[in-house]
Amino acid sequence: MSELSDKILKLTLNYIGPASQAFLERQTTKHMNGLIFADLEKNHLVDLARWVAISAALLIDGQKAKELSERILKLSS
Amino acid sequence: MARLINSLETKLIFSFILLIVIIAGGVFFYTFSETKKALKESTRQELMSIASAVASQIDGDTFSKITVGGESSSNFVTIHNQLQKIRSDNSNIRYIYTMRRIDNNIQFVVDADYGTTDGAKIGEVYTESAPMLIEGFQHLSADTEFTTDEWGTVLSGYAPIKNSLGENVGLVGVDMDSTNVIRQQKFIGSTIYYIMGIAILLAAIIIGIFSLTIIRDIKKLNASAEAISKGSIDVVVDIKRKDEIGELADSFSRMIASLKFMMIEEKEKNRVIEEKSKARKELKRGVKK
Repeated sequence: MSELSDKILKLTLNYIGPASQAFLERQTTKHMNGLIFADLEKNHLVDLARWVAISAALLIDGQKAKELSERILKLSS
Repeated sequence: MARLINSLETKLIFSFILLIVIIAGGVFFYTFSETKKALKESTRQELMSIASAVASQIDGDTFSKITVGGESSSNFVTIHNQLQKIRSDNSNIRYIYTMRRIDNNIQFVVDADYGTTDGAKIGEVYTESAPMLIEGFQHLSADTEFTTDEWGTVLSGYAPIKNSLGENVGLVGVDMDSTNVIRQQKFIGSTIYYIMGIAILLAAIIIGIFSLTIIRDIKKLNASAEAISKGSIDVVVDIKRKDEIGELADSFSRMIASLKFMMIEEKEKNRVIEEKSKARKELKRGVKK
């Protein structure tokens, strides 16, 4: 797993819990043209943040989902 | 009923109320008894200083010359006038008198009230002799408790009368009406009582609100857990606190999120399997045709 993927996974664990890896893999494979989460690069983060905001809102409080998305986006800078 | 008794809400509120009542009760009784003691002690000190001042003004030699039946003698009249003047100058004094000890009897000598119904004659024996009264023949003393006798309830202070040789020949007794002191004690007691009552009420309201917010959030967590345990995936933990309950809610929220995700995944997998099975059946049907 790339360093970036690992960072995002650790960040997501604080919001989604133990299913974080499966959650992130689902976002990349289903919504980002079959991208494997472990191969994530900085240029994918805008897309990932957008999908995380949408999908995480189904699992956690909307504000927290937005917060997670913003923190993922910050990693691209 | 059993559920109400076992609920955290009942236990928490009951414990807090019990704690408040115990602490407030302890503070009330301690403060009240200490204040009462202090008030009585200051009255005793005041009585002793008055008695001491009066005793120093009475000539012990003149006092010693007063004999039974000598109410019209100049010695009696001099001291009687002195005592009456002192009493009229000090509104706190109810009775003021002199006494002496003959054998084991304590007798009145000059009573400022002589001539009235309350007044004692020379040689009238005082039967309610308290330990502090006996001590008063030797040195300054005052009653530690209110004394009730035929003249009412009073607190008394005593000081010895000395003759020109420095011998103790009698005592001056000063009685202060206890009504004022008791009234002050009651006032302090009721003031403390009201202050404590208001403090208990405020504390109960604050603790009640605090307990209810904790319990409300625990109930929310409980409701979320119950809903998810029954298969609901629309559960969101809406608790925003920065304390331990907030941390618990965050952990709980993560667990619920994961569970929900896994449930969604499971549903998705089942849907795919179902679709594949349907397609296989249709394919078989097509091959048969």
